[in-house]
Amino acid sequence: MTDALLGVVIALPVIASVVPLVASFWREEIGWYVAVVALVLNAVLIGSVVRSFVSGGILSHEVGGVAVPYGIELALDGLSAPVLVVIAVVSVGTLAYTRTAGPRSNSFYSGYLLLTAGLVGVTVTADVFNLYVFIEITGLGAYALIASGGDGRSAYAALKYLLVGTVGASLYLIGIAYAFVATGTLNMADLSARLADVGYGDTIVLASFAFIIAGLGVKVALFPLHTWQPDAYSASPYGVAGYVSALVSTVAAYALGRVILTVYTPGFLTANPVVSSGLIYFGALSIVAGSVLAVLQTDVRRLLAYSSVSQFGLIVAGFGIGNTASVFGSVVHLFGHAVMKGALFLTAGIIAYRFGVTRLDEYAGVARRVPYAGAAFAVLALSLVGVPPAIGFVGKWYVALGAVRAGETAVAVVIFASTLLTLMYVARLLDRMYYGEAPEAVADGGGGTRVTRGMVALVVLASVAVVALGPSASAVQETLALGEVLGG
Amino acid sequence: MSATVDLLTTVPPAFVVIAVALVIPFVSDRVGHTIGFVASLGVVPWALALRSSPGDYIQTAFMGFDVVLLNIDAFSVVMAVIFGGFGAVAVAYSYYVDASRIQTAFAVSYVGTSVGAVLVGDWLTLVFFWELMAVTSTLLVWYYGGKAVRAGYRYALLHGAGGSLLMSAVVLNYVQRGAEGFVFTGEGMASGLPAVLAALGIGVNVGFIGLHAWIPDTYPRPGIGASVFLCAFTTKAGVYGLYRAFPDGNVALAYMGAGMTVYGVVYALLQTDMRRLLAYHIQAQVGYMVGGIGMTSALATAGGFAHVFNHILYKGLLFMTAGVLIYRTGENSLKKLGGGLWRRTPVTAGAFAVAALSISGFPGFNGFVSKGMITAAAGKTQRYVVGGQDILWWLMMLGAVGTFMSFVKFGYYAFVKGSYEGKVRDGNIGQKLTVSALAVACFVLGVAPGLLFGILPLSDEWTAHPFTTGHLLEGFTLAALGIAGFYVARGAISRIGVARDVDSVYNPGVFYGTRAVARFTTMAYTAVDSGAVRLAGFCTRAVNQPAETARRLLPEGARETYDERVAKKPGETGTRAGIGETVLMLSLVLAVVMYLFL
Repeated sequence: MTDALLGVVIALPVIASVVPLVASFWREEIGWYVAVVALVLNAVLIGSVVRSFVSGGILSHEVGGVAVPYGIELALDGLSAPVLVVIAVVSVGTLAYTRTAGPRSNSFYSGYLLLTAGLVGVTVTADVFNLYVFIEITGLGAYALIASGGDGRSAYAALKYLLVGTVGASLYLIGIAYAFVATGTLNMADLSARLADVGYGDTIVLASFAFIIAGLGVKVALFPLHTWQPDAYSASPYGVAGYVSALVSTVAAYALGRVILTVYTPGFLTANPVVSSGLIYFGALSIVAGSVLAVLQTDVRRLLAYSSVSQFGLIVAGFGIGNTASVFGSVVHLFGHAVMKGALFLTAGIIAYRFGVTRLDEYAGVARRVPYAGAAFAVLALSLVGVPPAIGFVGKWYVALGAVRAGETAVAVVIFASTLLTLMYVARLLDRMYYGEAPEAVADGGGGTRVTRGMVALVVLASVAVVALGPSASAVQETLALGEVLGG
Repeated sequence: MSATVDLLTTVPPAFVVIAVALVIPFVSDRVGHTIGFVASLGVVPWALALRSSPGDYIQTAFMGFDVVLLNIDAFSVVMAVIFGGFGAVAVAYSYYVDASRIQTAFAVSYVGTSVGAVLVGDWLTLVFFWELMAVTSTLLVWYYGGKAVRAGYRYALLHGAGGSLLMSAVVLNYVQRGAEGFVFTGEGMASGLPAVLAALGIGVNVGFIGLHAWIPDTYPRPGIGASVFLCAFTTKAGVYGLYRAFPDGNVALAYMGAGMTVYGVVYALLQTDMRRLLAYHIQAQVGYMVGGIGMTSALATAGGFAHVFNHILYKGLLFMTAGVLIYRTGENSLKKLGGGLWRRTPVTAGAFAVAALSISGFPGFNGFVSKGMITAAAGKTQRYVVGGQDILWWLMMLGAVGTFMSFVKFGYYAFVKGSYEGKVRDGNIGQKLTVSALAVACFVLGVAPGLLFGILPLSDEWTAHPFTTGHLLEGFTLAALGIAGFYVARGAISRIGVARDVDSVYNPGVFYGTRAVARFTTMAYTAVDSGAVRLAGFCTRAVNQPAETARRLLPEGARETYDERVAKKPGETGTRAGIGETVLMLSLVLAVVMYLFL
């Protein structure tokens, strides 16, 4: 019974996304209320499907009763459940933030709901073509939201993301077309069995994988395919930046992990060492390059964006290693990074709304003037560095552990080194925030938007959560049963 | 039955004791000591109830490694019983020597971590609790302040080093054993480097000769209540750890143990500070236990654990009686005590007599039984023979005679010789009760050793007959030799006075060593510093003005092109990729990936 809800959690935000547009005919600014009702209800439904996964194991649903492999299958397992939970939590949390911070137009909330539907769809689908559709829906929603900044920069950023993202998605589509030609199926489970029959060393199988990696690499924003991301994050309103940075790359990385682990399977990686090391070093390159670029930034939002490039390198490396420990690390980091990065953007928003500052040198002394938000920023940033016991540490630890177990000691070294680089830009930021001399010129209200207690409470809550979730993260390892996902 | 087991294995007992320790600072002294007493005592029935259902409980994963938070077997149970039981008596005693609840909170957390260390089933959590024991006991020492602070610092450094050695042994063992992980397999440490590192790391805790100086350095310094705790746990947990690392024994360990019995006793004989004297006897007595673990025989191993049990009782009792004397007279030194105290403090003197006879191994007291098991094994096995003689047995006998001499000396100077000036009262009612309880225990286990045999490990592989004629004769002979020895040598002993121990070499050694390292580091630092400052200056400029720095690094001809680009492009360095460049990059990546994969 609950497996049918897998369809409902996608359909509900899609249907709800129409309501604000239609409502625009007689009422302005009603979108937020529609979105709250829809997303809170959706979060409850997501809670109930995840609960039934926890108690009963993997869920699967055939849409419209058409049998797989011809029909579309939706599924929920240990890889997707944490992502689904974080989507539910972040979508409601960010929505609360935009109550005051805006944008408040009805069309914005239509886009927001559509984006959410796409994110949920990517997470629960078990069909590679359906995955493409949802990636495109996610992309469309994200382009619209980024453009909602309303100035030239955001229009350029949205256009850049639109073009680059579409090319990336097309490459993915070519990849699955190759796989379809080779096997005649699009269902993930079916595909994985038939790819094995075709042979992991077959040219067409390898070519399809290469297209998929390059295509999704754009969506994940791995170095050097990341260039759309800093623009998109820094040009959009803070609420959007928070939402997009928390979830869009996250589900893309999840999709990449899903394709690597469920469709091509760890057996494929073992059969082609060059593919597996290719993925791992692609990830490692992103880890290092992202951190170095982040150190060079002067704009706080761009700094946070480049830090994402580095963190997603870690996640992809974890998927590429492909053992239980590293994949668990990647899943924990997907979850943890979403909360940390989203909340960091929202906190940067609070600071910008209060003082109108966005650049690193303008951050001097701000933490003393917004003590709660400042402390939350510090905690979140340190968790990003990987200070135990926060959740940022747990993800990195398990990926490093998996790397050591797989004999990839070099990757473990890279992870450690990136921790130092992360510390470098975080320390620079915190030093400025706490010990810098606040210039007289920066006055309260410089940003022109009101900061409510609720907004501050939200980021404080997130900072408490990243610390509290750390110690309990290892406890869910058994519940997720990632061994099953990896075909063990 | 199994419902009881389920209930008792929901949480490790150590967690409960530690939780109580965290509460103690926030309640009154009386309530704090009471709950500490109850929590510690509760470990005894808890462990005994589980003894009949051995196995690994509370298995979980810690940072991706399998760990066992509660491991029940005959070894862990006997340790938990004596740790919990003695901890309770020591808490009660602390209350009656006016220990503050803060000190007792540290002490109870020390008890809790010790109980934790002996009840876990894997090396990783063992090391975790091992380090926590070092931390809590250091805090217990530090709490007293004054000279205890520096001693505590030395103690902490040495135990930190020991813990690290053990940790590296555990990690190397993990690397060698691989798939088995950290969980105890009953095989002990892999031979070679892991075994050596483990022996050295644990050797710090049990006081191997050369690594022992912290015992007499630390134990006499803190409050008298704290000393009672300290004397019981760290060294005995070490003996337990030694068994886990070397379950099949090791010849070198056996000889080290026998050597410790003699070494510790010789130094003990030369001491005048009561607690320092007792501390050297800890090394000597732990020597018997190390010997027991080292010898490859079930009787010796069981004897080692029996000696742990008995030793905690009588050594605790000795520290308590010494504590009562210090409490009443304010004097630490036997020479200043004045003597003749037995008339004024009859209960304390009686308890001391029981404890002294126990530690010396006089028939009818508990030390006689357990020491006898070890020496009998040393004699019986005939494996430790040098020049036709059972060398191990002879060393242990020598240690035993020395122990008699030393306690005749202690008793003689404290309670018999001379007469104390001024008024001295016997211990207060609580002190009398606690010392009497332990004295009775020492006596009962001495005449009815079957009570202890029931909970000893490997019980179906050995038999002990403590009260054979030969063995009794041995006990009386040792006593006679001890008394005679003291009578002959007492002049010499009091003339030699306090001897220098190994720490008089390595304390300055460490001091000058670290100073030399510091000097060298400073010089090296100065050299590196100027370079680093230049590099940092460059980095700062590069980070603050990336555009300008990048421009300067370009060759002369390219700067103009660069300036044009910066003017045209968004971003500060002009390196920000536009849409077309990104798509180009994507094509390149795809080409590279294709080239690699196909």
